[in-house]
Amino acid sequence: MSQQLTQIRPLSQPVHMPDEPATFSAAVEAEIDGHLAKYPVKRSAILPLMFIVQRERGYLDPAGVLYLANRLALRVTDIWEVATFYSMIQTRPVGKYHIQICKTLSCKILGEPLITERVCKKLGIKPGETTADGRFTVSMVECLGSCGTAPMFQINFDYHENLTPEKVDRILDSLP
Amino acid sequence: MTQDVIKVTINNKDIQVPKGARLIEVCRDSGFDIPSFCYYSDLALQASCRMCLVRIEKMPKLQTSCTITCTDGMVVTTQSEEIEKAQRAMVEFLLANHPLDCPVCDRGGECELQEMAFDWGGLEERFTEKKNYYAERYLSPMVANDPQRCILCKRCTRVCDEWMGEDAIEAGGRGANTVIGTYGGWLDCSQCGNCIEVCPTGTLLDATYRHQARPWELAQTVSTCTYCSDGCQMSLGARGGELMRVVARDRYVNGLNGEFLCIKGRFGHPFVNHEARIRTPMIRYKKGGKLIPATWDDAIRHVASKLDSIANKHGRNSIGIVGSPRLTNEALYLLKKFATDLIGTDNYAVTDSVNLTPFFANLGAPLATHRDIRYAKTIVLIGGEPEELQPLTGKQIRQAVRNGGARLIIFNSVPIRLREQASQFIHIRPGAEEAAVLALAGGATDSLVSRKMGIETAELEKVRGTINETEGDLIIMFDGSLSAAAQSALAQLSYLLRADNRRVLFHPLPLYNNSIGALDMGMTNGAIDVTQMLDAAGRGIRAVCVAGSFLPEQLRGREESLAKLDFLMVQELFETDTTSFADVVLPAASFAEIDGTFTNNDGFVQRVRQSIPPVNQSKADWMITDQLARELGVEFGFGMSASAVFNEIAMQVPGYAGLRYPLLKDESKPVQVKHDIAVQRDISNELETVRTAVEQMDESPEKHNDTPDVGHELFKIRTLTDKVAQFHLLAAGNPRPESLNVSPLYQITLSDDLRAEAVVAGD
Amino acid sequence: MHIEAIGCEPLQLRRVHLENSRTLEVYRRNGGYEAIKKVLDSMSPDDVINDVKKSALRGRGGAGFPTGLKWSFVPKDSPKPKYVVCNADESEPGTFKDRYLMERDPHMLIEGMLIAAYALGAKTNYIYTRGEYRYLIDIMDQALAEARAAGLLGEKILGTDFSCEIYTHTGAGAYICGEETALLSSLEGMRGHPRMKPPFPAVSGLYACPTVVNNVETLTAVPDIIKMGGEAYQKLGTEKSGGTKVWSVSGHVNRPGVYELPMGYDDMEKFIMEDCGGIANGRQLKAVIPGGSSVYIMRAEAVIGKDVRMDYEGLVAGGSSVGSGGFIVMDDTVDIFESTKNLTEFYKHESCGWCTPCREGTDWLVKIFKRIDNGGGRADDAQLMLDLCDNIEGKSFCPLGDAAAWPIQSAVKRFPEDFAKHLVGSRKE
Repeated sequence: MSQQLTQIRPLSQPVHMPDEPATFSAAVEAEIDGHLAKYPVKRSAILPLMFIVQRERGYLDPAGVLYLANRLALRVTDIWEVATFYSMIQTRPVGKYHIQICKTLSCKILGEPLITERVCKKLGIKPGETTADGRFTVSMVECLGSCGTAPMFQINFDYHENLTPEKVDRILDSLP
Repeated sequence: MTQDVIKVTINNKDIQVPKGARLIEVCRDSGFDIPSFCYYSDLALQASCRMCLVRIEKMPKLQTSCTITCTDGMVVTTQSEEIEKAQRAMVEFLLANHPLDCPVCDRGGECELQEMAFDWGGLEERFTEKKNYYAERYLSPMVANDPQRCILCKRCTRVCDEWMGEDAIEAGGRGANTVIGTYGGWLDCSQCGNCIEVCPTGTLLDATYRHQARPWELAQTVSTCTYCSDGCQMSLGARGGELMRVVARDRYVNGLNGEFLCIKGRFGHPFVNHEARIRTPMIRYKKGGKLIPATWDDAIRHVASKLDSIANKHGRNSIGIVGSPRLTNEALYLLKKFATDLIGTDNYAVTDSVNLTPFFANLGAPLATHRDIRYAKTIVLIGGEPEELQPLTGKQIRQAVRNGGARLIIFNSVPIRLREQASQFIHIRPGAEEAAVLALAGGATDSLVSRKMGIETAELEKVRGTINETEGDLIIMFDGSLSAAAQSALAQLSYLLRADNRRVLFHPLPLYNNSIGALDMGMTNGAIDVTQMLDAAGRGIRAVCVAGSFLPEQLRGREESLAKLDFLMVQELFETDTTSFADVVLPAASFAEIDGTFTNNDGFVQRVRQSIPPVNQSKADWMITDQLARELGVEFGFGMSASAVFNEIAMQVPGYAGLRYPLLKDESKPVQVKHDIAVQRDISNELETVRTAVEQMDESPEKHNDTPDVGHELFKIRTLTDKVAQFHLLAAGNPRPESLNVSPLYQITLSDDLRAEAVVAGD
Repeated sequence: MHIEAIGCEPLQLRRVHLENSRTLEVYRRNGGYEAIKKVLDSMSPDDVINDVKKSALRGRGGAGFPTGLKWSFVPKDSPKPKYVVCNADESEPGTFKDRYLMERDPHMLIEGMLIAAYALGAKTNYIYTRGEYRYLIDIMDQALAEARAAGLLGEKILGTDFSCEIYTHTGAGAYICGEETALLSSLEGMRGHPRMKPPFPAVSGLYACPTVVNNVETLTAVPDIIKMGGEAYQKLGTEKSGGTKVWSVSGHVNRPGVYELPMGYDDMEKFIMEDCGGIANGRQLKAVIPGGSSVYIMRAEAVIGKDVRMDYEGLVAGGSSVGSGGFIVMDDTVDIFESTKNLTEFYKHESCGWCTPCREGTDWLVKIFKRIDNGGGRADDAQLMLDLCDNIEGKSFCPLGDAAAWPIQSAVKRFPEDFAKHLVGSRKE
C-alpha cells in the first residue's frame, strides 16, 4: 500500500490510577474554594482548577485528575476530555521553564525562525522536547496576541517581546 | 389530541406534516433519501457529519436537515448538483484519514461508511497524503477499538450518556487529533456494548466476536433475549451450527429495544455452544451412584416407569412438576397440561423468586409498553433497580426524563443510579416498599407511613402534587417482592389515580424472560409453591420433574430436601446443584435452538426462533414433556410443531385468544396479551392487612447510603454467565491488563480463586 | 509599540498614556464611572438599549453584528438569571487591541459591563480571558477588587438598588473559544465546541439562560456612548458603523501598534504608508490582511491608489473585510505560499474537530502544503486546494471552517505566481 501513516499525538496511553487523589495545602484549597464560589455550576471551575493543579504538581498528573474528579463530582474521563482539548493543559511533565515560541504569521515573518533556532541551539533540544535536567521545555505555539511586538515567546506565563537572538541569550541566562 | 398541520414543499412535492416535525425525518418518510452519520433518532442533535445538507429557500447556506424544524411554507430541495457535490465532499473528507482496507475490518459488509462510499463517494481518490494513524487497542474485555476508523459521529458517547447514564466514553483531544476513549484507556462501565452497536464504522468492535466471522457468513435469526423480563429483540448470527454473536443492529431486527441490548443480551450467549452443555440423557440407576449416559428412549422409559410406580404407590399428588420462568410459553403450557391433565397432581410450580398472581388478579389498568414509558409524563418506581435488572426499562425511564421531560419518583432504600434522573428520590427504610403502596392507596395516615419509611410527610404531599399535575401517562412500576395484599392494592391504584386527562399504566418488574408467561400459562396456580414442595420432599412429595433448576435461594437451608425424594428428573443445559441429586438428567435445548414465545413485562408475546440445530442430543423442553406423555400413554398430538402448541394456548388461555405465529411475525409490531382488567372493587381488607403489617414494621433498619456499583447485578456469575470468560473478569473487578493492544483474555489468567470468589451458582 | 488615535479624539485610548492608567483613581479623575452613574440616576434599561441601538455600534469581535440589536433579543420576561459575558479570548492572528485596552484601562471594561448588565438585568457576569493572558487576568482581578471596595461592584452599587458581580474566567489555549457559543461551552467547563444556533445565546446561552456575549472593545465603547449619547457616538463614524474602531497593526510596518480611527477613515493606503510609518526597511508593500487572519488577503495593488475606506462596507468593497481589525502587513520578501501555509497550520491546530469538513479539510490542506513544501507539488494542487476550500466553506458547523478557507481561496486567486513556483520543479534536496 502506497499510503504511509503518520502517528498522531497519543492521547490515552495507559495511565495507572493512584489509589489516593492529590492533596493540597490549606491555602491552595482556599484558592480553589474561591474559584468554585464564582460559578453556579461546579464544573465551570474546571479550567482554573486545572491550572492550579498544574502549578502545584508540574502537570495534570493522575493523582491531580483524581483530585479534580472528586472535587468537581465528575468522572475522571470528564476531566480527560476537557484537559486534552486545551493546548495549555499539560497531561505529561514539562520543564520548569516552558518556552512557548509563537510561530504564527506576524512572528513568523518578523524573525521567529531565528529565535527558535537560537533557543534550540542554546538548550540543545528540538521543539516538543525537554532538557535532560528537566529545566526547559520548548514548544511551538499559535498566536499569543503579541503581533505588534513580534517576534516573541512566553516562558510559563511571562511574555518576552521584540525578541532578537541576543535578547534570547540574555533572557535564558538570567533565569534562576 | 389534535396537532397543527403545516405544509412543506420538498422537491416540488407538497407534504402535510405536524408542526414541529424534524425535516430529516419528514424527507425520509416522504421517500427522499437523506444520508447521515451523526443523526440518530432520539439522541441529542450533533449536526457534525454535515451529510444531511439540503437547500432551503430564503436561507443563505445549505442547511443540515437534522437541525431544521419544519415551518409552514418551507420550500426544500434535497437533490441538486450543489447538494450532491457537498455530500460527496463529506464522504471524501471522512475517507481521507480512514483506512481503505475494508476486507480486514470486522465491520466490513455492514459498515455505514462503506455503504455511503458506494452511494455517495467519488470515483477517484484525491487524498494521496499520509493517513493519521492510531494503534488498535482494547478498551475492555468486551470492547475493541480501532481509532483510525472513527468518523467522530459520537453516537457512542451519546448512547453511553443518554441511554445508559454512564458517560464512560468520551472524545479526547482536538481537531484531527480527536479520539474516542477514556482517561487511561480502560473502560469501566456496565459493558453493554451499545457503543459497538451504534458505531457506523469499524471503530468500536465486539471484542468477543473479533476476527471470528464475516457478517455475510452469518445466518441472521430474529429472536428474543433469554435473560431479563424486558424481552429485547435481537438477531442471532450463526454459522455452521454455532452461535457467533448477538446484535440488535436495525438492518437485521427492529424490535421494541431499537439497537439497545445490555451486556447479558449482547455478550451472554456463549453458553449456547459451551463444551459443558449436557451431551446425552443420563440415568442414575442407584441413589449415590453415578449418572450414566443413556439413550433418549431408555431415559424416557425410565422416567415414565418411575412416575407410574410412585403415583400408584403414593398417589398422584405425590408427584411435583416444576418449570423455570426461563422456558417458553409452549414448554410451560405443556408442563401445566402434563401436571393437571396427565399426572393429575395439584402440585406444580415455577422456580420464580416472586409470584405476581395477586397483582394480575386485581389488575385495574393495562401494562405499559416500553414505548409508553418513553413518552410517560410521570413514572413512580417502587423498589427495584431496573438499570441492573431490567436494563431496557432503565434506559426508557432515563430517556423519558432526559428527552421527554418526564418526572420520576423513586421509592427505594438504596440510592440507585436512576436517582440521578429522579425529580424526587424518596429514601425509605429497607422493606418499607409496602408502606409506599399504602400511602399511595390512602390506606393509612401520612404520619404512620412516613415514620415507617423514615421520611418527612412533606415528601408524600409532593408525590401527590406531582401525580395531580400529571396530564398524560402515569406509570407505576414495582419489583415483585411486595406481599399479596400490597400487590392487590397496587393493582387497583389505577382507579384512584386516574383522571380525565391522565391514564394510569402498570409496569411490573419480574426478573425472568418469561415470568409473565409462566403466570399466563397457569403454572403459578398450583396448590403449593416451590419452597413448600421442597419442604414436603420425602413426605407428601415423593417425585419431582423439573424443567430447569431450583434457585440457590430456594435450596438454601433445604439442601437435604432433594436427597429425600424417591425420584428426581431434571431437564437442564448444564450440571447444577439440582442435577447433582437427579436420578435422570435430560439435555434441554437453549433458546437459540428452539421455536416458541416469551411474554415480557409489557405483556408482549414475542417469538423465539431457532437459530441453530439442537446442540449435542438436546431437545426442546416442550418436546421432552410431549415425549414423556406419549410414553405414559397420552398423545398430545403436537407432532414436531411448537406452532401447534401455541395454537392450543390461543384456544385455552383467554388473553392469547386469536393469536397465531404468523401474527407475531413482525417484531417491530409486537402483540400485547389482553390481560383481564379487573373492575374496581373494595380493597379495604387488603389495605387493612398491609396497614397491620406496616404498623408492625421495625423502624430500626438503616437505609443504604451508597449508590451500588455499575454492574453489581449484571456481572454476577450465574449458571449461564459463568460460561463466558469475560464475565469472570468483570466480576473480579475488571482488572486492567498490562497491554491494551492485546485482548485481556490472553493476558489475565482466570485463577481458581478469582473464579471461585465470583461464582454464585444458579441462574 | 505605538498607541495612538488618528483622525479623531481618542475615546477608547483616552487614558492609555496616563501614568497609573489602570487604577480606579486615574480612571475616575478622567471621566470614569460617570456613565454608570448617569445610567443609574436617569436611565431605564430600555433607554440604555435604545442609546446603544442609535449609536450604530457593531460587535468588534469580528462578526460586526449590531450590538443594540443583540441586546434587544434578550427576553425581558424570562424568569431565568441573565448573564453578560465579555469575550476577551483574543486569539485571532494579528489582533492584540483588547489586550492593551484591558492592560491600560481595565475599569473602562468594568464600567461597560456594568452598563450592559444593568440594561439586560444580569446579576452575574464573566470576563472570559484567553489563558495565555494570565497577567491581564491579574490586572482585571485587581481592578475588580478596587471597584468592589469602592462600591462600584457587588450589592447596591452607588447606593442604588442595582447589584451586580463580575468575575474573571480563564481559557486554556483554544482559538475556537473566541466563537461565542464555544466560549459558553468552555465557561461551563466543557470542551470548547460551538453549539447549535438557534437557540441563540440571547435566549439560551450560559447554563441555558439568556446571555449576551460581547467583545472587550464593544463593551469598552459603551461608557462613551452613554456619556455622549448614541447619536453623537454614531456621528463619529458612518451611518451603519458608528463611532471609532481600534485597529491592531503588525508585520512589516515602521510603527506597528494599536490605532483608534473613526469608522469610515478615508484611506487604507494613507493609514499604512503614513500613519503606521510605511513599510519597514525601505521595502515595497506586497500584501495586507486587514481584519485578522480570517479575511481575504489583499494585494498591494488593491490598496495603493484605491482609496479603500476603513469600515465594514468599505473593506468589503475593497475585497476583504473588517474582521477583528488586525492588520498584518507583508513586504515583498514574503512568499504568500508560505504565509498561507502558516495560517492553514494555525486553523488546523485550532479546529475543534467537531464537524467533518473543518476537521478533515484543514488536516488535508496542511498535508498538501507540506507535500508541496517538500518538493512534491503538482500542477493541479492549486485547483485541488480551491476545491477543498469550496467543500469546507459554508458547510462547516461554525465559521471557523469559512475562516480557514478564505485566506487560502484569496491567496491562491490573488497570488497565483507565488503558488505556481512551488507547484512544479521545486523538489528540494
